[in-house]
Amino acid sequence: MNISSDPWIWISALLSLAIFSFLYRDNPFYRFAEHIFVGVANGWAVTFYWHNILMPSLFNPLFRQGQLLYIIPFAIGMLYLTRFIPRVSWLVRIPIGISMGYYVGASIPADVQAYIIKQTQGTILTSQNFQAWNAGNMGVVWSVILFIGVLCTLSYFYFSKEHKGILGVTSRIGIVFVMIGFGAAFGYTVMARISLLIGRLQFFLGPWLGIIE
Amino acid sequence: MKIIDILERIDRRIIYLVLLIVVVLPLIFPSVQSVRVMPPVEKFFNAVDKIPEEKALIMDFDYTPQDMPELEPMGIALLRHAFKKRIKVLALSLYVQPLGLAQRALTQVTEEFNSIAKTNADSVIYGRDYVFLGWQVGPILAMLSMGESITNFYRVDYYGNQTDTLPLMKLIKNYSNVGLVAALSPSDIPKYWVAYAQNRFGINVGAGVTSVSASEFYPYLQTGQFSGLMIGMKGAAEYEEMVESNLKVKGRRKASESLPSITYAHLLIIAFIVIGNISYFIKRRQK
Repeated sequence: MNISSDPWIWISALLSLAIFSFLYRDNPFYRFAEHIFVGVANGWAVTFYWHNILMPSLFNPLFRQGQLLYIIPFAIGMLYLTRFIPRVSWLVRIPIGISMGYYVGASIPADVQAYIIKQTQGTILTSQNFQAWNAGNMGVVWSVILFIGVLCTLSYFYFSKEHKGILGVTSRIGIVFVMIGFGAAFGYTVMARISLLIGRLQFFLGPWLGIIE
Repeated sequence: MKIIDILERIDRRIIYLVLLIVVVLPLIFPSVQSVRVMPPVEKFFNAVDKIPEEKALIMDFDYTPQDMPELEPMGIALLRHAFKKRIKVLALSLYVQPLGLAQRALTQVTEEFNSIAKTNADSVIYGRDYVFLGWQVGPILAMLSMGESITNFYRVDYYGNQTDTLPLMKLIKNYSNVGLVAALSPSDIPKYWVAYAQNRFGINVGAGVTSVSASEFYPYLQTGQFSGLMIGMKGAAEYEEMVESNLKVKGRRKASESLPSITYAHLLIIAFIVIGNISYFIKRRQK
């Protein structure tokens, strides 16, 4: 056992323990660590964005180098602050509209191509898709299961007609696929949370207490 | 029936304590657990391995401290693979929080290689073998702009050097000089790489993701949009195994060390679920 003498390791370990203490019950140590975290995170973010975005990308070019074109983004950005003045608060729609316009314009063609067209192609029963599973003859079986799963799950989310007859059958099969999906997601979530715990325990046992390498 | 009543009223803190013990003991008393490499990770490894000499690997470090246990071992294993095969690396972060962690992984692996290097050619040298581009505003903007010119978008690197003065950046102009993007992220960033960089510029994308988001990424592997997929600590352990067994690169395997803890914790949780369900059905029958 070789306990660390580094004060930063100690601060990190004690704050982690303070957060973990919430598992026992709410207590002042937990709240202290939580408030420290919020304060530090906000302080860090403000200074980072000031020094890495506002200064080099706006204030320096505009006020130090005299590039007057930068007055346009500066003015548009300042319009965000008008929401604090009720009489002109409608002006905030201008920067919001510009941001939305840019992102919607950039994302719709890309999203349709990547998330809808390509995914639909991957569901269609073709020999190329059978081989994509790398499972030999079983590729056909997996592709058919995928095909049925997608159609039945989509039918479950079709609410314009009562789920009776054929639609009732397919939607029931669909809910089975949805439940299997939830089960898989839950299993992965358990693994994720345990992994986070392991990461912190490796820190406690390693750099802090020196019990493991 | 008494046992069922006791189990029903058990304090959740006792469950936490049992879980803690089950996770801690394998860390203190490590045991060897064989790692079976699954096809998604094998595909990822092969995709990196096949990057031609004249092309680079973009490593997108997008994990933050809360995702570090799962994603950092992936980053370290990927860097070991790339440096061993002399694949050029462009590291970057699309968010600001991961910058320090990206630098930490780069520093660790370059030190590992340089500590055993005998000549300048064996060493991993900044500017020649890898560049840390750092961060610029806007993930989508970065993905689209790098397709035109990397040095125009990242005018300075993380350390403040002019990127167009670095030897490596004279060879790597845009995506036409990039063999693969390895996106290590707990968010949707790997999907963004597919939507914006792959759709428009045809770049190959591999993803390293946290377990909690794994199920939403599998479809992209099946369609071939991802060249490989690593999921959580298990995926990282598999990549560590491939790097060590195929390339004989030795180094600490943090993800592999954690597998026994994960296994026992999963068995414990399965036991809890089974016991909980049995007690529920017995109680329901009694009513």
